[in-house]
Amino acid sequence: MLEKAKVSFFLASRSITRGNKGITIFTVFVLTLIFVQLVLFSSMLAGVTLKFNELMVNFQTGNVVIEPEEEERYIEDASALQKKIESLPEVVGTSARLKTTGNFRYKEKEIGGTVYGIDPEDEAFVTGVEGAVISGEFLSRPDSGEIILGREVSGGFDALMESRSLGGVEVGDTVELTVSGRTREFRVKGIYTTLYFMADAGAYISRADMEDMLDIEGRDFAQEIAVKTTAGTDEYEIRNELLSLGIRENIRTWHEFAGILRLIENTLGLVRNIMNAIGLLIAFVIIFVVIYVNIVNKKRQIGVQKAIGIEQNVIVTSFVLQAMLYAGIGVILGYAFVRFGLVPYTVSNPVQIPLGAMSLRLDDAEAINRAVLLFLASIIGSVIPAYKLAQKDLLDLIWGK
Amino acid sequence: MVNEMKNEVKNEMKSEITGESKIVTNTTEPEIEVKTATEETGDIIIEGTDIVRTFKMGEVQVRALRGVSVKIRRGEFVAIMGPSGSGKTTLLNQLGLLDTPNSGKVIIDEIDTSRMSDKEKGKFRLHNLGYVFQDYALLPELDASENVYISLMMQGKTKEEYEAAASEILKAVGLGDRLHQLPSKMSGGQQQRVSIARALAHNPRVLFADEPCANLDSQTSKEVLDLFKKFNKEKGQTIVMVTHEEWHAAYADRVIRLRDGVNIE
Repeated sequence: MLEKAKVSFFLASRSITRGNKGITIFTVFVLTLIFVQLVLFSSMLAGVTLKFNELMVNFQTGNVVIEPEEEERYIEDASALQKKIESLPEVVGTSARLKTTGNFRYKEKEIGGTVYGIDPEDEAFVTGVEGAVISGEFLSRPDSGEIILGREVSGGFDALMESRSLGGVEVGDTVELTVSGRTREFRVKGIYTTLYFMADAGAYISRADMEDMLDIEGRDFAQEIAVKTTAGTDEYEIRNELLSLGIRENIRTWHEFAGILRLIENTLGLVRNIMNAIGLLIAFVIIFVVIYVNIVNKKRQIGVQKAIGIEQNVIVTSFVLQAMLYAGIGVILGYAFVRFGLVPYTVSNPVQIPLGAMSLRLDDAEAINRAVLLFLASIIGSVIPAYKLAQKDLLDLIWGK
Repeated sequence: MVNEMKNEVKNEMKSEITGESKIVTNTTEPEIEVKTATEETGDIIIEGTDIVRTFKMGEVQVRALRGVSVKIRRGEFVAIMGPSGSGKTTLLNQLGLLDTPNSGKVIIDEIDTSRMSDKEKGKFRLHNLGYVFQDYALLPELDASENVYISLMMQGKTKEEYEAAASEILKAVGLGDRLHQLPSKMSGGQQQRVSIARALAHNPRVLFADEPCANLDSQTSKEVLDLFKKFNKEKGQTIVMVTHEEWHAAYADRVIRLRDGVNIE
């Protein structure tokens, strides 16, 4: 058994080192491309998912959100709670928000959306909405009667759902906002876009204006406190620390808000699996063709090997080993290309997608999975032609028939 | 004494190569048959009886061998001759177990090969037979030494054993200084010597050569045939060679002549 394996390995190694270099380079090149293709879509998907998550954390939820206790409508004594939370060293800032759904009206158009009542200075520590303003300015603390609209509300600025928007509101225009049955006019001070459609379908007014509309003036209420932590902090640890501070309110990490994102991720995952299956099928066919052409050229050699007594399974194994080695080199080169070439390149030169700038993200577990699949494809793709040919009549092989 | 030794070798070989009883038709009768055969014919190593081989070429059936019977003694150098299409190579392929006759028997050292499976035939060839082909048939990716020792490797010999054996036999054919040369860097004559070295490296019972000098000039052909004669005389190597040149056949002890698929001499 061992000597047979030794002969197979010997024949395979000599064939690779002394065989046609062009065929070896071509085969390895093709397998490298196939591996890159197999991991690229996963990397893109991982990059898009990461981007989605980043957008949600940076423009909507922060890392952790404190919500009222069950059956309570508001968090009471919100500023004291903010101070308590900010005492943790990992916390960069907090923003106590009043959040409700409202109805916007501009000329004949009317749409619904989420309205936040915020302290602009606090909000700047938690989200990047201030930096996302594309027309006009962000709110400032003394502002009253002014509103910042997301582009999906205002319309224009390449809004994704233009037809559902107010149809092109501009800075300086006046819109009517109805909240809890009270309607007020607001002057549009700014329009923002985060490129994340869920965040862009909202609006911001000052806390004072919102308190007025909700009829809770002077009461230190909040409907949520968004918490931003330092980079690299584990959200679940922060949650535990907040619990240990004695906070009885509902503490949720951003992951719990990512339901729709998971839906999108799962859908893309399904597409990815289909693409992978097609990719593998193509890989299998290419490996089969390359190995088959290689083997057909060695028909006579196989015949001679059989004539001098080399067993058929030893000959087949030698071709399978060659294919596995080609696949191995292809995987290593492909991995190195993606890991040390494409990924760093897209990090320094992000790809522009509708969500914004995106970089590829290579997951090692996914890469290992694709490598195993490629190995399997190379084994099957080489066993079939090698076995078929080695089984032919000895004289037919020797005469090259 | 000599006969006893020969019988010992035969029995040893039988158990070494075949190992299993299914190749020998009957486990008790052969011993009687062996003795009878040996007494009647001398030390016969190959016995081909009534070999018929038919090939199908499209719609036409070509009868390459029409009932050829041959006997070759141990240590004999036999040439097979005949005009083109007479069935020389076909007969060699039947005797050398590279092909299977439609009917008839090939018995090598008392082993009826017609009952062997392809796998058993492969194993038998590996241990007992050597081949020299017209176009050398070396593996282009292996150097001279590797071409020679690949079959020894397959036999399970150790690295030291097969490297030493390859080196020794390559020196014996005059290529001691070209052990690591690839076939593509060698002349036709040198390649054929490597091919002879490969065929002889494992001390085969019979060496089969199919027109070994067909692609060589006269001088190189003479060198190759001298080598055959040397191994035949010095080591008692049994050789069966197909040729169409009378002066090649002159090296042989005996000539089997074929015409239209039957032996005429």
